[in-house]
Amino acid sequence: MQGLPLQFTNVSKAFSIKGKALPVIDNLSLDCPAGSFTALLGPSGCGKSTLLRLALALESEDSGSLRIGGDSPRSICRSGAVGVAFQDAALLPWRSVEENIRLPFEVLGRKRPDPEKINGLIELVGLKGFEKARPGELSGGMRQRVAIARSLATEPRVLLMDEPFGALDLILRRQMNLELQRIWSAKRPTTLLITHGIDEAVYLADRVIVLSPRPARVLADIPVSFSRPRGAELLRDPAFHHVCDRIAALLDPETSAASAAAETAALDAAPVAAPAKAGTTA
Amino acid sequence: MTRFGDHLATGVLILLLLAAWEVAGQLKLVADGTLPPLSAILLRLAAEWREYWPHVAATLYTASLGFLIGNAVALAAAVSFCLWPVAERVFRGVNIAAFTVPPIALAPVLVIALDGETARITLAALLVYFPTMTAALAGLRSADPRAVDLIRAYGGGPLRTLWLLRLRAALPAILSGFQVAAPAAVLGAVLAEFGSGARWGLGTFLLGSLGRAEPDRLWGIGLTATAIAGLGYALSATLAARTTSLNRAVNIGITGPEPETANEAPLRRALLLAAAILMPLLIWQAMLFWADLSPIIAKTPMGVIDYLITGKTAASAQTRLLAALAETVPITIAGMLLGLGFAFALALLSFAAPLLMRALLPFALVTQTMPLVALTPLAVLILGRGITVTLVITISVTFFAAFVVLAQGFAMIPKAAFDLVDAYGASTLRKVRLIAIPASRQWLFVAARLALPKALLGVMIAEWLATGKGLGNLLNQSRGYLDYGMIWTVAVVSILLSVLLYQLTPVLEWVGRSDRRVR
Repeated sequence: MQGLPLQFTNVSKAFSIKGKALPVIDNLSLDCPAGSFTALLGPSGCGKSTLLRLALALESEDSGSLRIGGDSPRSICRSGAVGVAFQDAALLPWRSVEENIRLPFEVLGRKRPDPEKINGLIELVGLKGFEKARPGELSGGMRQRVAIARSLATEPRVLLMDEPFGALDLILRRQMNLELQRIWSAKRPTTLLITHGIDEAVYLADRVIVLSPRPARVLADIPVSFSRPRGAELLRDPAFHHVCDRIAALLDPETSAASAAAETAALDAAPVAAPAKAGTTA
Repeated sequence: MTRFGDHLATGVLILLLLAAWEVAGQLKLVADGTLPPLSAILLRLAAEWREYWPHVAATLYTASLGFLIGNAVALAAAVSFCLWPVAERVFRGVNIAAFTVPPIALAPVLVIALDGETARITLAALLVYFPTMTAALAGLRSADPRAVDLIRAYGGGPLRTLWLLRLRAALPAILSGFQVAAPAAVLGAVLAEFGSGARWGLGTFLLGSLGRAEPDRLWGIGLTATAIAGLGYALSATLAARTTSLNRAVNIGITGPEPETANEAPLRRALLLAAAILMPLLIWQAMLFWADLSPIIAKTPMGVIDYLITGKTAASAQTRLLAALAETVPITIAGMLLGLGFAFALALLSFAAPLLMRALLPFALVTQTMPLVALTPLAVLILGRGITVTLVITISVTFFAAFVVLAQGFAMIPKAAFDLVDAYGASTLRKVRLIAIPASRQWLFVAARLALPKALLGVMIAEWLATGKGLGNLLNQSRGYLDYGMIWTVAVVSILLSVLLYQLTPVLEWVGRSDRRVR
């Protein structure tokens, strides 16, 4: 099953708080080709999550358009083609692990999935033996893994993730990153990952979008072309750190403006040098 | 301590309290024997068992049917209000009226309009409706908003969200509503029997026994009613304990937002408010139209206006009414504050000293289900006919519902929240201040809503049966004189007064909300 392209075109969104309009997203355009892996980075509160909520039809845009596979988010989400994992696991406390993973099928009104498949997902996220456990009996990291398994349950063609690994410890996070890369490589769902981890973004994505403080605009669009599969050794590669440092400079309010100008100039002038070099070294 | 140890300690405490009662009764410590020893009450009960049986059966029948019907209507209403918030606002007037109408004022009116058994079941159902409806609605709306998002993200509509998430998430709240509703059904049944001239029922039995100065018989009847209500309470409480432990486990309960009204057009708001006010009048008019009664005994809204404002009875009616209100209103406000404070103190106690609380709960339940009409003559003997008896009776009708809701709120606080402050070595008092009180805020408002209008009922019962003052007395007199205009007027005025008190809670809620942060 192929991924579906995800297109934001001139999207704006404002919230009204105590009668005043608070612009959250300002004329943002972003094109995620089918099967691509895009990471979104930006200062907290910049509107990343709102972007994701728009793509899930949980909010509607004030202007501009949003298309998933040429269709509206609402109808695509109803077809079960979109998988979602939030920062918070949002598990139903009265359901067991397997029942929670099964939830999307029930929401979509489909028949129960093959238990083999659910077991496969549970094994994938390393929770074998916890099929019958309730969320209250699991640690925070384990709950988050259930949420990730749930996001994969419908074999989505688009995967939207809002800091899904935020609650995990570093080792587990690395492990889950590897898993996510493997899953993505195998099925190639179009993936949009919101994260605070610069290294995580660079490690996983084809390109990293850096957003401005609220209202969100695209500050920089950085292609990442390290060859795949990417192993743990990439984390020690100087080229990897070079890309991370550039992004860190963009996110740092002190240096952000200058870096963004340089970044735009570089984008206009020629293909970015560092990832090209990295591509050859990896 | 182990579970078994807990139960044992609770049992021992209860036995100690019962022993204290027995001793006080044997030695006639309380007001010269108005509190008979428990053994005397039980012996008499055992001896008169055959006499009790048909009365118990009648009350059980009325209360059970009222409980079932009231809860079914309440759940259907809560689900509708959750799905269509506008419906809640249109029916707000009806809801408040259904809740605040003092049953003693309504019983004679219902008996006029319906046949006896239907009137009694209606009254029991009416008392059941509001606690279950408010608790269920709060529960339905308290579903984890992130889980709501998740279901919506997979294209689930309001119905699927209701089915997969909200109903199950609301279960503890619904069951806490049942806990309040079960004793209310019994109280409604007994009050209706008392006021409707039924042949059988504990209320009738009580009425027949009132004249005979036999406290042990009165206590026997009261305890029997208590046992019936306690059974319903215990069943709901057991179920609630089972479901709460599962719901509690994961996240601190973030309430879903109340339906947004801030950006609403003024015209729409005004229309909804008008609909809310007109709806009860509409239903009132429609019911009388349907019952097809003489306008002399069944007053329509216009009939009441004629009686009180435009007709030739107006001057006398107004004088009597205003005099009664001047006596009733101040004591109602005092009683309602005391009742709410008492409930909060009790809920804190149940949180800080659960063991003691579990031992006291059966006795608190007694004050609930012991029909107030039975308790009042006894209270008069103990406390006299002054202001104290009114206040005590008012507290006893207001505190219980508020207490159950608050205790439930405390129980819903996740362990992790307490672990955090425990780690800093917080005292119990500090834990209460830092975690329990803020986390239970939303429940405090539910509790206040349940308690405030009940205050008027307590005051009116006390006035009617004990002090011979105010609105309660006016109602009692009017029943004696067959002054139908005044019966209807008192019912309407008491509802309006309760609505006014009820409107105090949104003000409190607004004050409490000012520090809420914007997400």
